[in-house]
Amino acid sequence: MLQPLTVVLLVGSGLLGVLAAHHLLRGRLVDDPLIIVGAVIEVALLVQLVVGLAKASAIGDGAERATFIAYLFTVLLVIPASVVIAVKEKTQWAMAVVLGGALVVAILVARLQQVWSLNA
Amino acid sequence: MPEPTSSSSSSPAASPESRPVTDRPHTGHGFGRLLVAVYGLLALAATGRSILQIVEYFDRAPVPFLLSALAALIYLVATVGLARGDRASVRLATIALTVELVGVLTVGIWSVVDPVAFPEKTVWSHFGQGYGYVPLVLPLVGLWWIRRTARATAASDADVARSAH
Repeated sequence: MLQPLTVVLLVGSGLLGVLAAHHLLRGRLVDDPLIIVGAVIEVALLVQLVVGLAKASAIGDGAERATFIAYLFTVLLVIPASVVIAVKEKTQWAMAVVLGGALVVAILVARLQQVWSLNA
Repeated sequence: MPEPTSSSSSSPAASPESRPVTDRPHTGHGFGRLLVAVYGLLALAATGRSILQIVEYFDRAPVPFLLSALAALIYLVATVGLARGDRASVRLATIALTVELVGVLTVGIWSVVDPVAFPEKTVWSHFGQGYGYVPLVLPLVGLWWIRRTARATAASDADVARSAH
């Protein structure tokens, strides 16, 4: 996989997590900076999907390749779902959901990298 | 627990009599949103894993793979039940969470006693170790939350009845 892209994604989801934690402590709800950071991560995830699909054939084992492709698609859902849930919630739990979502994106990106490095 | 933030600009109903219905305790609001999000994620993870396991290598370990599929179904029911939050949905979610708790304990003990039967990781084997023990903790938190919401509902209904007299 593209290592720079993985780094960008990890930094991005870290930033989203910090922003959500900051908003949580300040009692703020979803705002523009949060949406923009989320959108940038989502674009990077789409790039990762294209690159990943193009390179997926390098993974020999069929089941591992299927796992890899499944992760590529699944990770796309996390941020939109978190933001939709967060927009509906008017308490600080909204930010807890975004914080959780950022953590899950980071975990999935790391898992993708792991599956790639073990099998390709 | 964090308090509701002041969203006064968006809520025209300020007097206590005309509180919107959404202010009633609901399993899918407040902390419940996080719970629904986590259950949704587990539903997705368990569904994906079980489809993959059953399609790609079912013969290797049919029992854990069928258990993965059962877990996926239960997580799905719990997610929808908590998110909907009406009486029947919450009852269904309560059943799902109870089965989940019994399942993760049973399969957890089983996989420790007889590891040979579980050559592949499932959501519930070794008490959900592969998922950071979230499958073990989650049903407990979920059942606590349902109970708490039910009590808060009973209290607010009593308030409404009292103010009607």
